[in-house]
Amino acid sequence: MKKVFLEGAISPEFIADSIAKHQGKHSIGAHNIFLGQVRADEVGDQKVVAIEYTSYEEMANEKLHEIREAAFEKFNLTCLHIYHSLGEVKVGEICIFVFVSSPRRKQVYEATEWLVNQVKEHVPIFGKEILDNADHQWKVNS
Amino acid sequence: MITVNYFGNIAEAAQSNSETLDKKSMSLSELLDLLDSKYAIAQFPFQVAVNRKIVSKQQALNISDSDEVALLPPFAGG
Repeated sequence: MKKVFLEGAISPEFIADSIAKHQGKHSIGAHNIFLGQVRADEVGDQKVVAIEYTSYEEMANEKLHEIREAAFEKFNLTCLHIYHSLGEVKVGEICIFVFVSSPRRKQVYEATEWLVNQVKEHVPIFGKEILDNADHQWKVNS
Repeated sequence: MITVNYFGNIAEAAQSNSETLDKKSMSLSELLDLLDSKYAIAQFPFQVAVNRKIVSKQQALNISDSDEVALLPPFAGG
């Protein structure tokens, strides 16, 4: 089972390292990366300042494994990586990192979009949006 | 023992992330009624997972000893 969940925000250094790790894989000709960043949504007269993520990890890991397998069936990929934060991620920080690599370009766009949608729809991850005044509300994907 | 896991706003309502019910066997609908009487969960949108697989709330399903049930509010990954 590949590790997906990381504590806190996903750092730019982590993302750079992930790219560097692929330089030895010479069949790859195209990478595509999706980064989700926590947005300062307005809620009434308040703003979101952070999202605190939790997950039903055992189920999430099973589901993510199925999604990975399905993606390799569906697209011609050399490798793919999905990382998602748990715990607090502040506005402006990265909470999801999807990284897809293939010999050629076309498949990586489609695969990235498909993977992000699958994670949003099928993986039990929950987000508590913390507001300016320390109130909170529960995030719902639209 | 039946284990029930709570997440998101349902964990807030239950004031717990997880509990074990001292029951050998009950139907899914009996379990949901019991949890509604304790925590008024019917006010929330949620899905049910039994042993980490999503099931329909209406399904005639028997929950027995050592099963793991989870109440899952709308997913918010990404």
